[in-house]
Amino acid sequence: MSADILIKVENLEKVFTGKTTVRALDGVSAEICRGEVVVVIGPSGSGKSTFLRCLNLLEMPTAGSVVFEGTDITDPAVDINLHRQKMGMVFQHFNLFPHMTILENMTLAPMKLLKKSKADAEAQAKALLERVGLADRANAYPSQLSGGQKQRVAIVRSLCMDPEVMLFDEPTSALDPEMVGEVLDVMKELAREGMTMVVVTHEMGFAREVGDRVLFMADGKLLEEGTPEEIFGHPQNARLQDFLAKVL
Amino acid sequence: MSKWFASLQADFEQTFIAADRWKSLIKGLGVTLEITLLALLIGVMLGVLVAVIRSSYDQMAAQKKSNGLLSVLNGLCKLYLTVIRGTPVMVQLLIMYFVILANSTNTVLTAVLTFGINTGAYVAEIVRSGIMSIDAGQMEAGRSLGLNYVQTMWHIIIPQAVKNILPALGNEFIALLKETSIVNVIGMKDITKWAINVQGRTYQAFMPFIGIALVYLVMVIILSKLVNLLERRLRSSER
Ligand SMILES: Nc1ncnc2c1ncn2[C@@H]1O[C@H](COP(=O)(O)OP(=O)(O)OP(=O)(O)O)[C@@H](O)[C@H]1O
Ligand SMILES: [Mg+2]
Repeated sequence: MSADILIKVENLEKVFTGKTTVRALDGVSAEICRGEVVVVIGPSGSGKSTFLRCLNLLEMPTAGSVVFEGTDITDPAVDINLHRQKMGMVFQHFNLFPHMTILENMTLAPMKLLKKSKADAEAQAKALLERVGLADRANAYPSQLSGGQKQRVAIVRSLCMDPEVMLFDEPTSALDPEMVGEVLDVMKELAREGMTMVVVTHEMGFAREVGDRVLFMADGKLLEEGTPEEIFGHPQNARLQDFLAKVL
Repeated sequence: MSKWFASLQADFEQTFIAADRWKSLIKGLGVTLEITLLALLIGVMLGVLVAVIRSSYDQMAAQKKSNGLLSVLNGLCKLYLTVIRGTPVMVQLLIMYFVILANSTNTVLTAVLTFGINTGAYVAEIVRSGIMSIDAGQMEAGRSLGLNYVQTMWHIIIPQAVKNILPALGNEFIALLKETSIVNVIGMKDITKWAINVQGRTYQAFMPFIGIALVYLVMVIILSKLVNLLERRLRSSER
């Protein structure tokens, strides 16, 4: 594991105030190194999604800092849009743009933000589609794809921006079981190529096989972190032992 | 029976043919369409702008953030909606003509501005409901790619919203077309004014008024068909 830190999170806190006050993140500190695959696990409602969404500020933390490539992006003076270009995000429900073809989904941001020509953006998009076996669906609309295909498109749509890191929030949870494999395979290949990834998932097999490091969260706190061997082989925290007993 | 028919034919000739009245009817039709289309253009632009301001304010308020400029703009938009939707368009037209643009002789400008501003208020609320109907994940996906709020709105949210609200926008368009029939109060010669003039000249009421009623009806039917067609075309692109 390289010591080149890409994201450094310190004392992250997120309190949702509404009818009831929810402390979704309660002082989380963590580091994500370049080229590393970090898997976040924990029971439902433990704050995994909130943690992930704070990394690209889709959710604004109420306290703490997120330092990405040396810049504290929680600083209001920072242009968050520039930093988000380098942080791809894949959602549980794909969130493809239904009014655009697959190709248009993939070329919109590179053309608008990286000022790529249409030809360049399309060439890149097609090459990526080729890699995930969807070259023939370039001109289809999202509604014409299966769930697994949609998620593969969502992944390559993010890759079109050449991100430094990819954030995944339960990318296989909305899929029929027979489609989980095809999406995990794409993610495994990404990991092999050295992409930095933060993955919230319930797929313990994936965490074990692909993860360099596993973070265990409960009640908005980071309770334990370590290599997959440590987390799955020798869990220390009682909550983690309890959680693993339930899911494994 | 044949006598009745003959008199009807005479009425028809007197109303439409004599003194080349059909020519002024076509001119009147041009005025009606000109005001409607230009007002629609202004109305849609204004409506989208107001809707975007109102939804961004709502979204920010939901995140418990505040922005002075946006709050002021939102307040202005609310005032605009309340005033315009709370007063008759006829009164708005009179105020525009006799008060705000009292020094202008350009009645087209007066009418287009009045109806544009009026339509904008209704379009704004339609567009806003359309924006709210789009899944929050769409905005998140756009923002996570690095697009800013306005870019995401423009390329991702609004095209989908428009698709959802097309029937409501079509109805607004049709209402606008019919409402322009009051522009004769500021001296404009639209088709309604044409009928009033013909009635004054010929003392025939049936032919000119039923005649323009049919003209409005045909235009509305054509418009509805066009909106339906557009709607179907947009839907088929997705599925
Ligand atoms: N927008 C919000 N408003 C209010 N409360 C929220 C909001 N988002 C999340 N929460 C609350 O914050 C807590 C953490 O939620 P989060 O979605 O991060 O959990 P999670 O670990 O991702 O759970 P799951 O495995 O079910 O996805 C939960 O109690 C949740 O109800
Ligand atoms: Mg979650």
